[in-house]
Amino acid sequence: MNRRRFEELLVSCITEHKESTYRLAYSYVHNKEDALDIVQEAIQKAFISLNTLHKPASMKSWYFRIVVTTALDFLRKRSRVQPVDDEVLLTLGLESEDHYHNLDLEQALEELPFKYKSVIVLRYFEDLKIEEIADILGENVNTIKTRLYQALKLLRVKLKDDSMEEVRQHA
Amino acid sequence: MRNLDPLKKRYDNIPIPQELDDVVNQALKASRRKDVRGMKTIKWAVGSAAAAVVIFVGSVNASPAVVHALSEVPVLNSLVKVVTFRDYKVDEGHYNADFQVPAIQDMNNKALEELLNSKYVNENKELYQSFMKQMKQQKGEGHLGVVSGYEVKTDNDRILSIARYVEKTVGSTEETLQFDTIDKKNEVLLTLPSLFKDDSYIALISNNIREQMEAQMKKDGDKVYWIGENAEDGDAFTTIKPDQHFYINNNGKLVISFDKYEVAPGSMGSVEFTIPSDVITNALVSHAYIK
Repeated sequence: MNRRRFEELLVSCITEHKESTYRLAYSYVHNKEDALDIVQEAIQKAFISLNTLHKPASMKSWYFRIVVTTALDFLRKRSRVQPVDDEVLLTLGLESEDHYHNLDLEQALEELPFKYKSVIVLRYFEDLKIEEIADILGENVNTIKTRLYQALKLLRVKLKDDSMEEVRQHA
Repeated sequence: MRNLDPLKKRYDNIPIPQELDDVVNQALKASRRKDVRGMKTIKWAVGSAAAAVVIFVGSVNASPAVVHALSEVPVLNSLVKVVTFRDYKVDEGHYNADFQVPAIQDMNNKALEELLNSKYVNENKELYQSFMKQMKQQKGEGHLGVVSGYEVKTDNDRILSIARYVEKTVGSTEETLQFDTIDKKNEVLLTLPSLFKDDSYIALISNNIREQMEAQMKKDGDKVYWIGENAEDGDAFTTIKPDQHFYINNNGKLVISFDKYEVAPGSMGSVEFTIPSDVITNALVSHAYIK
């Protein structure tokens, strides 16, 4: 297979998944302009690094990975707040339940560190297989399974706290 | 386990903006040409020129900082002025566009200012949309160049005349011109009929232009206007339109403008005639503008 054929496949892949990748980007940045920028940059990067893709079969995961990386890079550059290490955030989330009152599920998801959020978005919103997610995020399958479990636990913890708040108010 | 359906629904409902197709197509085209450096100039902002322009109208009026950042046409001792408000470029192989949108500023008559500015924005928005449409229809196989811009014809104490031009190149070049002339003192937009007591000006001006055409052709064998035997039936220039394009030059003279092909072969381009003031002096409402 030559470069030309690869490019053709990439064009179909990008076109077929343009809405998914836009939503994926949007789920990180929450605004249209930035999400469009990310999609554009990801396409650009995909063509530049096409030679790093060896199997056409994994093109989708490979391209989604570029989109996720681009979105995260974008947020890193954008963020004016010093990012706290994921583990620290996780601990905070687990330990200081009282700070999470009035958060609905969506906010709870937004509060998740990206490595957990990405797993939720890809697994439940984009309906991807654990194996694909592992490919996209560059982790092994077991790590993804663990993260998924932790992410769900974290969401439930937050929500439980929320409902507890409700109960308290009614009491 | 948690029911994530409401979140999934929200995710699925993230609206897909219209610009997405443009952004993706442009990025694909640019990347496939491997002209990745060139891509920097095709920011997606082009894809939503219209929307960005509209937002920009607000900011020009609202923020002195934004106004300051714009390149200003040097204007002395005058309040009302013209700035380049936005310049959009598309550069994709055989498809090139450059839309330069002017904006009037610092007019007390905000209604007029907005009317003109939104007209400028809308004109360019339409140009952009038809450009993109044509590009899409031809699937990048054709050629198209569109340039829009403006020129300040006159800017003195009394008069501000702006010419806006559009040049379309599809094989041959098509050119159209539009003018706005503003009385800066009274902050009103001047129309050709508004300068005259009655419509006698149409004949006065038309006759003078025909004389000028004949004189020019006699003097210079290369010049051709569509009058007399030069013209095919129906093509001949007989009279100006009541609202023929015009502006008032810095000497206070009325200048009548014709688009390319309107009164002469395309090789002549767009042409203009300065009307001697004594020809129209009796028909003028006042001599405030035309001297």
